[in-house]
Amino acid sequence: MSTVMKIENLEAKIGDKQILKGLNLELEPGKVHAIMGPNGAGKSTLSKAIVGHYDIEVLGGDITFKGKSILEMEPEERALEGIFLSFQHPVEIPGVNNAYFLRTALNAKRKHQGKEELNAAEFLREMKSHLADLGMKSDMISRSLNEGFSGGEKKRNEILQMLILEPEVIILDEIDSGLDIDALRQVSEGINKMKDGKRTFLVITHYSRILDYIEPDYIHVLKDGKVIKTAGAELVPYLEEHGYDGIKED
Amino acid sequence: MNLITLKNKNAQEVASLLDIKERNSLVEMFSTLGLPHKMTEEYHYFDVKKLLDVEYKTLNYVPKSIEEGDKIEIVDGVVTKAPKGLRVYSEVSENVDMEHFDALYYLGHLLSPRVIKIEVDGDTHVEILHKYTQSDALIHYRVEISNQANRHVTMYENFETEEIKNTLVLYGYDMNIAQDSTLRMVRLQTMSGNAYSMVSSHKITVAKNASVVLKNFDFGGDQALQVLKVELGEHAHVDAGHLLYLNDDSKRGTASQIIHRGEHSTSKQVAKNILDGQARGIFDALIRVEKTAKFTKAEQNSKSILLHKKAYMASKPQLEIYIDELEASHGATTGQLDEKQLFYLQSRGISHLEARKILVIAFANTLIETVKDTRHQERIKNAFEEVFYASNKG
Repeated sequence: MSTVMKIENLEAKIGDKQILKGLNLELEPGKVHAIMGPNGAGKSTLSKAIVGHYDIEVLGGDITFKGKSILEMEPEERALEGIFLSFQHPVEIPGVNNAYFLRTALNAKRKHQGKEELNAAEFLREMKSHLADLGMKSDMISRSLNEGFSGGEKKRNEILQMLILEPEVIILDEIDSGLDIDALRQVSEGINKMKDGKRTFLVITHYSRILDYIEPDYIHVLKDGKVIKTAGAELVPYLEEHGYDGIKED
Repeated sequence: MNLITLKNKNAQEVASLLDIKERNSLVEMFSTLGLPHKMTEEYHYFDVKKLLDVEYKTLNYVPKSIEEGDKIEIVDGVVTKAPKGLRVYSEVSENVDMEHFDALYYLGHLLSPRVIKIEVDGDTHVEILHKYTQSDALIHYRVEISNQANRHVTMYENFETEEIKNTLVLYGYDMNIAQDSTLRMVRLQTMSGNAYSMVSSHKITVAKNASVVLKNFDFGGDQALQVLKVELGEHAHVDAGHLLYLNDDSKRGTASQIIHRGEHSTSKQVAKNILDGQARGIFDALIRVEKTAKFTKAEQNSKSILLHKKAYMASKPQLEIYIDELEASHGATTGQLDEKQLFYLQSRGISHLEARKILVIAFANTLIETVKDTRHQERIKNAFEEVFYASNKG
């Protein structure tokens, strides 16, 4: 199997507590990998470790992206290389205009790629179709970033960023939490629009509900800081019936 | 001239040292208040001794013929240009507040008996440019501004220097805001490189139903203190916003007193302070509500962000209230940039420096965006960015 991202024997802690205890995972290009597991298994810690969150101290192991270790990279360097995390709880930033933020992020990416930066008018043209697809009102981009957004609006705004930045590895951390059925469908459509056989998805979830909308190629079960089982989508109904306790380590 | 020689001197000695034969009441006020020092409340956080105990070159203030220009230009304390139709002239002032709390207000009037008078007619926009061209000099001047009743004036105040160093500027306004009128003053001052230090000491009287809006944008380094006294008549209003972005080892800020004298007068004072390097910011602000000022509304708030562990903010909002029938609130907070917000921006490919700038601008924006003219708003943002990037090079 070719890999776009390889996580080898990763050990990491938050504060004094070691969460990841020798985690191994390989992501295949163009595939949807779902990470499932009980509370406290280390799902969100894994996503934070990949994007270089300040909370995480890596104790051992490595994460390589397209053959290159990313552990020494700053969060923005990882993002520019093509790694994107859709946050479970996107932070509110009063005073930062959403459109200004999105254009700054897009232009940082374009500059990194050696492309011309977009002016405000070009950027807004780019945005229009994405907003319509996600069922977002146009005034959402003129508001302060995530400030006063409902749970659904925040998740849509995350997907909007994903559509604009066109990353290669997309981590969706509990993307379905706080979404009603309609919002879940629209968010999923946005995600599925990005499935082009090249981009790789890491879908982190407690529940299988999101997997009804985004069909996974692989299911990885995470328990006590390690991946204990990897299987195909057929594992989902088994998990629903037996829970995580019924899973035996590979 | 070394101003420290005026320390602990009685009125007679002060008059003799300054060679003043009249204006005894001003001399009395100055000697009673005494030359400011570390224990003087409004100068407590400001290193005033360092500025006063220096031998400065004195300048001759000879009024020049005023050329026509698109703005009022005051070069080293002398008006050189003014727009057509605006009355700008020099005259001995009788309009001195005899209850001001600042000794340097009186020293300014004693050193500069002839003041620059600006009479603004009609609804208009006026720009005042202060230029300083002399090194090692004491530049002192006072400006008196008056407007007409029922008129609305916006003034933009800017500062420029030639390549100078170690100059001290003492200046200030006496403003009389006429009944039912509005005066907006937007002041932008970027300082750096020990060119000059400044103490500006103002008195603003706001008549019945009048309103004054003061927006101060102070960026960069050096030492500057703005001492402000505002008196509000019946139904008068003041809206004062102070934005500080300081770097290096600068000490700058505002010491103010807003005094509610008239019923139904309202005041709003907001300070946003961003301190980098070893800078010290000052917001020492008192709102006093007199017995005559029933139904006052007063609001005062100071928020500060420290970008460096050695930065320091002296925030002292205070209320002094002598009546029960009012609404008043005040508060102060100091903190750092939010790590979660910084990380969120970085996780989208925005550099740490750019993310810091975005958050700092966001903090400052609520004040910058109160400047209604977008051209001036842009100018203030650009001035801020220039100073921010100069002290945060990649």
